[in-house]
Amino acid sequence: MGETSELKVNANGHDEQKGKYMTFKSGNEYFGLEIQYVNTIIQLQPITAIPETEDYIKGLLNLRGKVIPVIDVRLRFKQPPLDYNDRTCIIVINVKSMMVGLIVEQIAEVVEISESNILPPPSIGRIDKGHNKYVYGIGKVGDTVKLLLDPDKLLNDEDLSVVESANDMNMEEE
Amino acid sequence: MAEEFSTDGMLDIYLFENEQLLEQLQERVLEQKDADCFDEDSINEIFRTMHTIKGSSGIMMFDNITAVSHKLEDIFYYLRESHPDNVPHLQLVEHVLEVEDFISGELEKIRNGEQADGDSTGIVADLDQFLNQIKNGGEGQEAATPVAENVHEPAKQFYIAPVATSDSRFYKIYITFYPETEMANVHAYKTVYALKEVAEDILYSPEDIISDENASETIIREGFRILLQAQCSEEEIRQIIGVGYDIKEVDVYECKAEEFLQGFDFGENGPSAAERAIIDLNASVEEIESKADTAAKEGEVKEAPQPEKPKIAPGDFVIKSKDPGKRKTLAKDKKNDKASFISVNVSKMDQLMELIGELVISESVVLQSPDLNVPGLNLDNFKKESAQLAKVTTDLQDVIMSMRMVPLTNTFQKMNRIVFDVSRKLGKDIDFVMVGEQTEVDKNIIEHISDPLMHIVRNSVDHGIESKEQRLESGKPERGKVTLSAKTEAGKVWISVEDDGTGLDREKIIAKARKQGLLDETKPDSAYSDKEVYQFITLPGFSTNEQVTEYSGRGVGMDVVIQNIQTIGGTLEIESKPGLGSTMILKIPLTLAIIDGIVMEVGNSSFVMETGVIKQFIRVKEDMMIHEPNGDEYIMIRGEAYPVLRLGKWYGLDEYQESVEDGIMMILEVEDKKICLLVDRLVGEREIVVKPIPSYIKKVKGLSGCTQLGDGSIALILDAAGLIE
Repeated sequence: MGETSELKVNANGHDEQKGKYMTFKSGNEYFGLEIQYVNTIIQLQPITAIPETEDYIKGLLNLRGKVIPVIDVRLRFKQPPLDYNDRTCIIVINVKSMMVGLIVEQIAEVVEISESNILPPPSIGRIDKGHNKYVYGIGKVGDTVKLLLDPDKLLNDEDLSVVESANDMNMEEE
Repeated sequence: MAEEFSTDGMLDIYLFENEQLLEQLQERVLEQKDADCFDEDSINEIFRTMHTIKGSSGIMMFDNITAVSHKLEDIFYYLRESHPDNVPHLQLVEHVLEVEDFISGELEKIRNGEQADGDSTGIVADLDQFLNQIKNGGEGQEAATPVAENVHEPAKQFYIAPVATSDSRFYKIYITFYPETEMANVHAYKTVYALKEVAEDILYSPEDIISDENASETIIREGFRILLQAQCSEEEIRQIIGVGYDIKEVDVYECKAEEFLQGFDFGENGPSAAERAIIDLNASVEEIESKADTAAKEGEVKEAPQPEKPKIAPGDFVIKSKDPGKRKTLAKDKKNDKASFISVNVSKMDQLMELIGELVISESVVLQSPDLNVPGLNLDNFKKESAQLAKVTTDLQDVIMSMRMVPLTNTFQKMNRIVFDVSRKLGKDIDFVMVGEQTEVDKNIIEHISDPLMHIVRNSVDHGIESKEQRLESGKPERGKVTLSAKTEAGKVWISVEDDGTGLDREKIIAKARKQGLLDETKPDSAYSDKEVYQFITLPGFSTNEQVTEYSGRGVGMDVVIQNIQTIGGTLEIESKPGLGSTMILKIPLTLAIIDGIVMEVGNSSFVMETGVIKQFIRVKEDMMIHEPNGDEYIMIRGEAYPVLRLGKWYGLDEYQESVEDGIMMILEVEDKKICLLVDRLVGEREIVVKPIPSYIKKVKGLSGCTQLGDGSIALILDAAGLIE
């Protein structure tokens, strides 16, 4: 992953994008994001920390003139932090006209998962609520499984404070 | 300034807007030319378009455009209200396009600095005929049976107040038409139009010959009477009027100025002078206004051609012209000075600005590339070319910034209009002076200041300026004066509204504040500074005006003003001298997009502080510090104690300087509150492009945005007001 790979993805989503997932590794699990959300993947870049924010919000990143917030997926999943290395990547996703960078340990591959291979997440035996919320399905690829993420929930749910402050900011901008 | 209605800038806007309207109109008409009739939407649209054009042309005094658009508006008004089903659609389309062409032609002339002198009478006549035709179900072509009265206000007509010269002569003209003449009003209008070329002042009866459809009957029955003040001879006038196929007789009498003043008195044929109310300029404003309302529908206040400078009725300053006939040269003044406009989506401009910002950064990355540091490399040519590149990118930045900057002219003109309206309604004489309206401000900011400014100006006129009687009593000139001025100072735009009225009543405000429980009862009244007292009037629900008028006194307004100003980072200062007037000063940032800032570092983070709030940089010694047991720190500088804020500690950053002697102090001042901020290092002063912090991140106190530095990294912009809190 020495080079910056760019996936120029049309947000409208062509048919050929359907059922394709960008997978990445975090901890021992592989996660999948529907490819239509993914804007680009970049190498780790200097990030400007913002004081007084949640620890998983790493700060701001300058993506070709756009300032975007960056969150660390490991911290978001409440996994212990890991030092960044040259495999660490930032997946930039578009969610509801907002761009957010996700710091992930390692990019895996783009896989195709047909709908019949996606199972609802098992609700029994999972007490870890936080985890469950952003995972909306489990995709089977061969022998492995990928946890499919709902990016909207990944960014926003449970954090009412974030939503509130987002509203505040919007009002200010008006 | 207030002596004439300045059309600088307005003419360009007028042309731009109306050309756009016409373009849309044409598009819509052509879209439906093959249909059986216009649909409801289109009828409304065309009606609105014509109404707009009529209105703006009336203001700009392009009478022929006004006349034509008014007629077309009439037709569509009829279509809209009566839904006739026998309209020859194609003919209608032709008429609309004819009007469109005529107006476009006139606009083109104006644009080229020529006179908008196209003859509208033919088109007006055609349209009239067409209107009558559809009204009569297409049976007859008789013009003499008007059906529906037009309920709209008649086209506004403005008259140039005469400035008498010794050469002026006064004429009474009496034109009789043949009884079988059709559209006598159009012919009358034509005559008036022709006479306007030479007229210094012209008055005619019946007055409303364009929109009143009974006018042509009246004209045929009673004749058409004109009072004319001009410098030409009787012969010339006869020549101008000419005896056409439909004019039976033209009588021209020369008369004296006094007779001219008395108005229409043509013996037995004409109405008595009393019927045509002549306004006595010495009468009270109310009388003038009531007469003006009843007698002169056009809102015309007739001027007496006195040898000296004539007195002016309230509000006349707006339409008064310094030179007779100035109106005619209006377009010529703008000759070759045409500005063509293109409306661009602001988001595209933002995008462009972003890109240019990036370009600047990429440029510095390239020019400082470590690859260039190879020893022995000959970089002479490279350096020359890179200097050129730097110049171009700087120019680019300047251009994109200037694209966002708009002069305040239009906003000020709006205020002119408000003063005009309000002062007329209240019967106050007001001189409205505008200074520095060319000051340029970011477009986003202009949008935000228009409303607050309107409130302030209204307030000044309404309860700043006293009534005439009160003014005379207190030995002030009868005419009040309101000055609206703008200037750039200390990186901000100062817009002030100054009046020479009563000023604010400190006692009254204090009394009211006490009633509302806003005062600290333990403090004596004198403990409040004037500034503090005046700030009370900006609180919601606070009005010392006992009388609620149409414009002010309800206590809403000032608080809204303050809110609006604060959203754009501005402040409002109130100064007042009892009995002498008050001044409201708006201080607003030039632009929200770019600020001058000092870049500084704390630990590994970069911050930017707006240059304007930094009063001083200071290196301090440990022994200047005062530590309170609770952890608060102060510093004594030249006998003054300032609270100290360590930025690194405040934000819990890593690796910041612990010792005050290693860092540097900045004294910040916002609205008289001062604070010392300790940072590690200063980097330098930059012009920075302000970007909002993405809304995903919750608001952090003391941060107002972020920006990109030259090396592409992001610095956070500190908000001094937030830090001081």
